[in-house]
Parts: sequence; structure tokens; C-alpha cells
Amino acid sequence: MAEQHKEQARTLSRAEAQASTLPPLLVAAERVAATVAAGTHGRRRVGPGETFWQFRRYQPGDPVQSIDWRQSARSDPIFVRETEWALAQSVWLWRDRSPSMAWRSHPDLPEKGERADLLLLALGSLLVRGGERIGLLGGPERPSTGRTALTRIALALGDAPSSEDGLPKGTDLPRHAQLVLLGDFLSPLEDVDAALRGLAGRGVKGHLLQVLDPAEESLPFSGRVRFAGLEGEGHTLVRRVEDVRDAYAKRLAGHREGLRAIARTLGWSFTLHHTDQPPQAALLALHAVLSEV
Amino acid sequence: MFGLPALSLPALSFAAPWVLAALLTLPMLWWLLRAMPPSPKRQSFPAIRLLFGLNPREDVAARTPLWVVLMRMLLAALVILAAAHPVINSARPLAGDGPLLVAVDDGWAAARNWSARRAALEALMDRAERQSRPVILLPTAPPADGGPINAIGPLPAREARPLAQAMAPKPWSADRAAATEALGRLTLASSVSAFWLSDGVDAGPPGAASGFALALQRLGGGLEVMAEPPGGLARLVLPPVREGGDLVPTVRRPAAGPEETLYLRAVDDSGRVVGREAVTIPAGETQVAAHISLPAELRNRVVRLDIEDEAGAGSVALLDERWRRRPVGVVSGLPQQADAPLLSDVYYLERALAPYADLRRGEIRDLLSRELSVMILADVGQMAQPTIAELGRWVEGGGVLLRFAGPNLARLADAEQADDPLLPVRLRAGGRSLGGAMSWSEPLGLAPFPDYGPFAGLTAPADVRVERQVLAQPAIDLNERTWARLSDGTPLVTAMQRGEGWVILVHTTPNAMWSDLPLSGVFVDMLRRIVDLSQGLAGAQTQNALPPAELLDGFGRLQPARGAVTSLRPEALAETMPGPRNPPGWYGDASARRALNLAPHIGETAALTVPRGVGIRGYADAPRELDLKPWLIGAALILAIIDTIVALALRGLLPTVRRRAAAGAGAVLLALAILAAMPGTAQAQEAEVDMDFALRAALETRLAYVLTGNPEVDRISEAGLHGLTEVLYQRSSAELAEPMAVDVERDMLLFFPVIYWPVTEDQPPPSPEAQARINDYLRNGGMILFDSGPMGSGSDASAGAALQRLTEGLSIPPLQPLPDDHVLTRTFFLMDEMPGRWTGATIWVESGESGRNDNVTPVVIGGNDWAAAWARDERRQPLFATVPGGERQRELAYRFGVNLVIHALTGNYKEDQVHIPIILERLGQ
Repeated sequence: MAEQHKEQARTLSRAEAQASTLPPLLVAAERVAATVAAGTHGRRRVGPGETFWQFRRYQPGDPVQSIDWRQSARSDPIFVRETEWALAQSVWLWRDRSPSMAWRSHPDLPEKGERADLLLLALGSLLVRGGERIGLLGGPERPSTGRTALTRIALALGDAPSSEDGLPKGTDLPRHAQLVLLGDFLSPLEDVDAALRGLAGRGVKGHLLQVLDPAEESLPFSGRVRFAGLEGEGHTLVRRVEDVRDAYAKRLAGHREGLRAIARTLGWSFTLHHTDQPPQAALLALHAVLSEV
Repeated sequence: MFGLPALSLPALSFAAPWVLAALLTLPMLWWLLRAMPPSPKRQSFPAIRLLFGLNPREDVAARTPLWVVLMRMLLAALVILAAAHPVINSARPLAGDGPLLVAVDDGWAAARNWSARRAALEALMDRAERQSRPVILLPTAPPADGGPINAIGPLPAREARPLAQAMAPKPWSADRAAATEALGRLTLASSVSAFWLSDGVDAGPPGAASGFALALQRLGGGLEVMAEPPGGLARLVLPPVREGGDLVPTVRRPAAGPEETLYLRAVDDSGRVVGREAVTIPAGETQVAAHISLPAELRNRVVRLDIEDEAGAGSVALLDERWRRRPVGVVSGLPQQADAPLLSDVYYLERALAPYADLRRGEIRDLLSRELSVMILADVGQMAQPTIAELGRWVEGGGVLLRFAGPNLARLADAEQADDPLLPVRLRAGGRSLGGAMSWSEPLGLAPFPDYGPFAGLTAPADVRVERQVLAQPAIDLNERTWARLSDGTPLVTAMQRGEGWVILVHTTPNAMWSDLPLSGVFVDMLRRIVDLSQGLAGAQTQNALPPAELLDGFGRLQPARGAVTSLRPEALAETMPGPRNPPGWYGDASARRALNLAPHIGETAALTVPRGVGIRGYADAPRELDLKPWLIGAALILAIIDTIVALALRGLLPTVRRRAAAGAGAVLLALAILAAMPGTAQAQEAEVDMDFALRAALETRLAYVLTGNPEVDRISEAGLHGLTEVLYQRSSAELAEPMAVDVERDMLLFFPVIYWPVTEDQPPPSPEAQARINDYLRNGGMILFDSGPMGSGSDASAGAALQRLTEGLSIPPLQPLPDDHVLTRTFFLMDEMPGRWTGATIWVESGESGRNDNVTPVVIGGNDWAAAWARDERRQPLFATVPGGERQRELAYRFGVNLVIHALTGNYKEDQVHIPIILERLGQ
């Protein structure tokens, strides 16, 4: 267990190193929910909050309670005290823990799961630095903020049992949370659709990042190969891989198109990442979609 | 097989041709191999759902690659071919089905080229075994046990083969007449194919060889004779005769043939070749005389002449005493003058003859009772009549009598009794005196030596002067009897042949009284030529039977005598025909060794001729059979291994080897082969480790500590020496490398200036080897610091006991407590106490001045636990508190360490500083 924790700590530090190359991430909140506890950072605009933002002239219609009498007493005009619009957004992170993620086509490449962990933690690090609350979907903890949250997620990642199913389950997500899902999403499209719909039905805004090994993209094998699945799908004998390569590529493209379509209908985003690409690329993409207002 | 045409192509035949039918199955195999797809690679794949149901349009490529199929076909073909047992150059099958009779000449003449005979014999055995024919072996030389010649067999070829392999040439002649009789004794049911592996020599009674051939032919199954061509027959070396200083052996060959060149070797007693001579037998000749010229000393050592690179008893001539040092008897006419050797009349004779002749002194009759070649009478005058008669008989029997003139002989001449039969010339009364006070004449020199006589070719020295001589009566034959003259023509040496021997007179003295001839070098040469004149041993000979000592075997090698060998009477030596009872070789004991040589007893010889209708064939003509079966099976095995590797690679089971499959597999095989071939690898590695230790220890100066087996103590020792090394580096110019641990049982100590030895209770005492190593180290300038500190403060009784146990067997010098003025107190720092972690323990050093190794004390013994005081951790913080003195005590401990190391490194030069005040005082004055 200690070994595993050490491993997680290493992944965490690497993830933070990745994240440090990006500016602190600010999540655009779409809605302000009264149920959400006050955020730890302002929205750089006027709104409900505790931090002083600005004084402005009293205008008709302003509630009298908002007049700052002390400030108004210093000069002739009457000033209204405005606070910064404070908001806390909770971002739920999830990564596919199915056995198919523990795979790589070449010893020099990271496993898909490793890369997903790295990306998840890097993203978490970015969010924490931006003051957001992060939590692990399906994890034991409530979303929290600060470095401890990140550490907790890292530990939870290491401890979490690998699940057979490569799709998130709709747990008690708060409404209007943001959700980042990392995985290979190679399950049948119907399953993916059902799972995501369940989540989206709770008003969650989500982002899909498909992490694939380059070999899954190009099918670089040759000759007579007996392929075996990692999640008990059984096996199939391909007599000459070269011959099926094109068909496979077409199927994969179709599958991805299906994923994209599901995401689109839910108003979610969909990004693709290959393990032979640098992780910054994927992080930038996630950064971009999370920053969208 | 007569008239067999020369084969231009190697003939390939199969011993089991029906197996080749299996080759017909190859096309079926081809089909099978092509139809069976290779096992697929296994590959895990996450996106397998996308692959389900993806089926290629056709299944063409799911086949074994073509080259693999071809390789497997080749493998199968090789196995089938190997089973068919192909043989290249297989001899024609033997005719008939009766037994095979193989007559083998195994006399002396077969030794040359025996390997070809043996190969032919092997080939015959192979053929007989293949056709399951029984074999009869018939050697033609009498067996070594002295029994009659008998055929062996019939036997199955398998059993006959070891007998055939055990056959060896005998050092005597083949007896074909006896072999013919043995043939007659055989009772044979069917016709017999006969082979005669002959030596190509027709010797012995005429008709014996052709009779044998006829008898073989009558066996009915055909006869094939193999023989050497005339140029390849065994040769004989006849014992040499002496011609002057040369050994002249004769080389004979059984039959005339083309020109042959061979090398004769002269070998001495210890087997060294002392002479080598090229001998060419001209075409058409059967014998030639070789001249081997050797210095007399070497010639006397020659015991054997043989032909280089030719085996055989006939080509060896053994040389016994008759060819060696000549016994020379010296008789003096004067009484022995022990006090004035230079005036003795035999002094110069002895000096001149001793290197190459066997000198004997004594009276004439005593000398004649033993073998003697040459008798020298130095100025012997009147002799008794029986002595004269005996001497005369001896001379006529071949002795050489050399007389020197002198006063006695001159008196004899004066007495008109110059008619001595033992003088070559008549002497005139009154000698001649040349020069001198009362004479006008000058002493005369030597005239050049005449062309005849034994002195021909010698150069007369110009500085020899003869003052007196005896003169010969003029006679008609005086001239031809004269071998040397003075410059005025008067004879100096005259000689006459008497019977087999010679009588020689030198007309002057053998000492420097009458001439200075004995002082010159030519005197030695003259004496040597005269001794060479003698034919051998004359006189009495031993009459005892000579037991066999060392005998020649068929290849001409000397072997200890064994078998049915009998003694030989000396007088029968010349007539004895070498045979099983008396093989050639050495007979006799240490006192008299005689050689019995084979070659003189071989009579007339000729090349072998065979009756009409019999083919004769050379050994070299037989084509060598080459069995291909092992090669084919080997190739098939290699292919099978390659195929296995390929099959594994095709199934993806060789992931790491895939890229460099060939190189990798090759390397593994090579490594295995090397490992198998080198059982000593581990040992070599051990030596390497030692070497590594030695290099590390020797390339830089280091401190060392002895491993105690207690990890805690060892760790403190290491940390302590580490700290001390650092302190040395900071404060002195001793820049030492990291300290090392030594195991006294294993490591060499000699590299280290100081070794720190913590004494613990549980340390085993060093083994005797380790003790020797430690003593060596101490004796040659090493220093060991024994520290009983790890056992606790102070030196209590248990520490003393442990120390005693450890140092038992070590050569520790007498010790004393460290004196106040010891050099250790001032080699670097001035100190008066030497604390460590503890303080107060007595420190013991060598007492007095041993004078060895600059008076550096080889051991320092104490109990202050210095290493603990020196020990520091990585941050240079001390590991242990010093008791009781605090940091000052630690500082003193470091200073002690510095002093100790500097003492070990620099010796006693600081001791001189004791005297500096005195020296300065003296300089001041």
C-alpha cells in the first residue's frame, strides 16, 4: 500500500509539473446556484459575495441597505458598496478504471491508464490553483479545495478498485457541476449514451477526453494474429491483420463519430488524446473547454 | 578389381538404397506443410470489440512462408538421405560370399608407410563388415612370442577389427615360406577372397614370395596385392665403417628405383641429433655410402644412425663401443715422476689424447689383457721376449702400436739390436743432435706432410723445431714408410703395416726434451689421426652372455626388453639373425653394451613380383571412402534447431530476440559452447576479483581495517578511518584514498601502510596461511594497530586474552610501553598522550631498535578505541563522545592518528630531530 501511495505521489508531482505550464484555470460558471456555498474567488465582477469590490454612486433603484454610510459621509455623493461576485464551481473528475486502460502497445509508451491519471491530476492541480473545488466522481470524498484535495484525489485514484465497466455511474452529483471524464470509451455506443444521459439529466456539464493508444488507432500488427480482449470480451482470430486494417480504421472513426454526436447532443465537449502525444496538448484542450464561459 | 580404370569422379553409393523411396513422400509433405497455417501470434487488444466480425476477403496469406517450407523439406530430405547411408568412393562390393583372407606383411620392411597399410586394412574391415563377411588375418612375420606363424580367424569383421588395429610391424623379416605353410594348415569350406597387404620387398629364400602369392591365388576367390612402388620401399642403414675421422654408413634399398634423397641422422645417447647428412641414392643404384663428418667428441657420443622421418628397425644402425672411444694404453719408459709432471714423457700424450680416447696406464701385459685399440710406448727400450711376442700378436690382430724415441731407444739402436720387429724401420746407431753449443747446425723444422699416409692434409707449423732424433737405416721402402719428415728430409714418423695392425715410430720424444713438437697443436692432430687408424677393439673380450637391454621395435624405437627374448653370446653377435628370440637392439649390461643391428643380416633383396594374373596396386591408389551419413545427420540437426527458432519467432514467442534473432541465438549458442568448453571460468573470475582488489589497493595509498565479522565494529572502523583520512588530508600532505576493508584470510595486505585491527571477543584467530601473510606484511615494513578498545574502556583481562588469541602465531617483536621520547610522539604533532575514545590504556610498541624498516614499529597495541574517536558521519559530526575529555580529547586522538600514519609513511626521519639541538650547537661552534 505504501508503495502504491509513493507511486501516486510521484504521478501527482509529475502532474503538477505539467499543470504549472498553464495559467491558473478559471472556470466560467454558467449559473450561480444559491445552494452552492460561497466560492473562494471572485468573478472579477460585481455580484453577491463578501469581498469588497467597489464603491459606486447611488442610483435610483438600489436598495437602501446597500448604501455605505461611512463612505457617503466623507463626501457629498452617496455611495453604494458593492462586493465581488464570488462563486465556487465544483468540478468532478472521473477516469476509466477498466482493465482495458492498463494497456500499451509498446514498452516506451505509457499505459492509457497512466496517462489518464496524469492528465486528471494535472487538471486537478490547475483547478486547485484556480481555487476551484474538485472531487473524484465515485470517490469517497466530497469536493474540496486546496492542495489537500489534490492529494486526496491522488490517493483515491491509487486505492480505487478497477471496475469492469468503463463508464461512469450517475451518483449523487450536485446539479450544475462540471464533469471531466477521461477514458477510452470503447464500450458500445448505446451504453455510453445511456451512461452519459443519466449524468446529463442532472444538469451536469461534461467534457469527454478519449485517451487511446496509437496502436488502437492504426492497428499496426501483421500476419496471423489472435486478438484477445482485456475485459473478457473473448478473442478473435484475424488471419491477416493487414487486410482488416482499413475496415478497422473505418469502424473506429464511426465509433468516434458516434461519441462526438452523443457529446454534442448533451452539449458536452469531446476531445481526443493519444498516448504518444505530449500530455500538454490534451491539458490545453481541456483548459480551453473548461474556460469557456 | 584388376585393371580398374582411374576414377575421374567420386563415386557415390548408398548402403541402404531402398530408403531413398521415402523421398517420394516429399511432395505430400510439401502439401501438408503448405496447407497447415502457422500458429497465430497472440496479442491482447483493448479495442477488440471493433475487430469482432471483421473477416478478410481471403485466407491466402495465412500460410507458412515459402522459405520455411523449403527449409523443412530440405530437413526431411536430409534425414531420408542420411538413412540411406551414402558413401563416396565406396569400393566395389567383394566378390563371392566366403570369408576374406587378409595377409599382412608385418616385417621390418612394412614399418615405412605403416599408416597407409593400416588405412587399407581399415578399409578392408569396413567392406567386410558392411557385407557381413568373416575375416581371416594372416601376418607374415613370426609373432613376438616366438611361436609359429598362424592365421587368425575366421572371425566376424567386428571382432577382427581390433585385432587388425593391434597389428604392428616387427623388427625382423617376414617369413613368407612359413606363412605359406600356415595357409596350408587352414581348412576352408568355401572359396576365399584374398588380399595381400605386402611390403613390396622380396627377401629371404628365392621363391618364397611368389610361392606365397600362388598359395593365396589358389584360395579361389581372387587375389589382390597391394605394394609400395619401388621408390617407396623401406631402406636399410648398414652400420658404419670408419674412414679417417668420418663415420661411413651405407644406405641400401631393396630394389633399384628412381633417385631418392634422404637425411641420415646421428643421434647421441640422450637423444640429441648431433649430425645430419643428406644422402642421395642415384637412380638405378641400390646402395650408397654416406660420409658423416663430426668432431671427434661428438662422433664418440653417437649411438645411433637412422633415417630422418622414416620408421623401421632396418633404417636404424646402433653404434656400440666398437665405434666409440678407443681405449689407448700408454706405457712410459721412465719411472713415474710425480713431482715434475712437465718432464714426464707421457704428460703431453695424455693431455693430447684425453678428450677423445680412453686412456689407460700400466704395464704392457696388463694393458693387453683388456680391449685395446692403440698402444703407445713412450721411449720403451728393451722389452722381454714374451712381451714382444704378445705385442706382435696383438698388432697382427689389428692393434696400432705407436712408439716414441728417446734415450732408451737410442741406446737400443747403439747396441746394434735395432732389429726390433716392433719397429717399422731399422735404426742407425747414434742419434742425431741438431744445434747446441758444439754444433753448427740449427734445429730443424717440419717439412710439409706428404700426400699419403694419415697425416695428409695437415699443415706443418713453421715454429716447430726438432733438436734430436733417432735415424732410420736407409732402405728402399723407407720413403713410403715415412709419414712425416724434417725439413732436411730425414724421417720423423715412420710406419709399417703388420698383419691387421700398424707399427708406428715417432723419431723423437713425446715430451719437450728433444723437440717442441709435443707443444704444438699439430701433435694433437697427428695423435688423433693415428688413433683413428685403429680398427676397433682388439685384445681380450668379455665372454659372458649378453642379456637384452633395450630392443628396437618395428618402428625403430627402443623399448625395454620383453617377450621371448634370450641372451646372446658375444661371439655369436655377428652371426645372429635378428628374430623374435633376438630382436635388434642393445645387449649387455652397463660394462659392455653391444649392438645387434638388423640391416647387415638382410640378404639379397628385390622388388616384389607377383604371379601372372594377379593385380598389384599401390596403397596410395585406393580412393578414400567418405561416409556422408554423420555429415547429413549433423546438417539436419542444425536445420532442426534453426527451424525451432524460426517457428518460435513466427509465433511471436521470441519478443526480445526478434530483431536480432540470428545474432542473439548465435551469441547464446556461442556462450553455451564457451561455458561448456571452459570449466575453469569460475576460477578465472576469482583471480580477476583478486586482481581488482589488488589494483584498487595498489593504485592509491589507503588505510585499511580488518573485518572482524561484527558489522557494528566494522562500520565504526570504516567511519573512523574515513575521518582520519579526512583529517590527514586537511592537515598533512598525506592525501590518502578512501580506506578499504581487508579480510586477512583472503586478501593481500602488502598494499597498505597501516592496518587498523579492532580486537573483538568473537573474532576467530587467523588461519596459518593468513598468519604467514600477516608475518610477511609485518616483516616487510607493514604496521598494524591492534585496538582492543571496541571491547570496552581500558585494557582488562578479557581484552588481553582476546588479543593473545588473535596474535598467536604472529611474529610480534618484543614490546615495551610507549616511551616518552618515542618517535611516535613527534612525527607530526608533539604529543605526550595518545587518547582515543577512552584514555589511559597503555600503548605498546616495539622495544629497542631492531634496525629493520627504519625502526618503524611493526605493531602498535592499545585499547583506546581510536576508530570510535575518529569516526564521523556524513555531516562530519562525531559519532561517539570521547570519555572523559570532550573535544580536546578527540583532537588528541586525531593527532595520534596523524602521527601514526606519518610514522608509517615516513619512517624514522623525525627521530633525527631529537638531535637537532645538538647539531645546531655543533654548527654554532
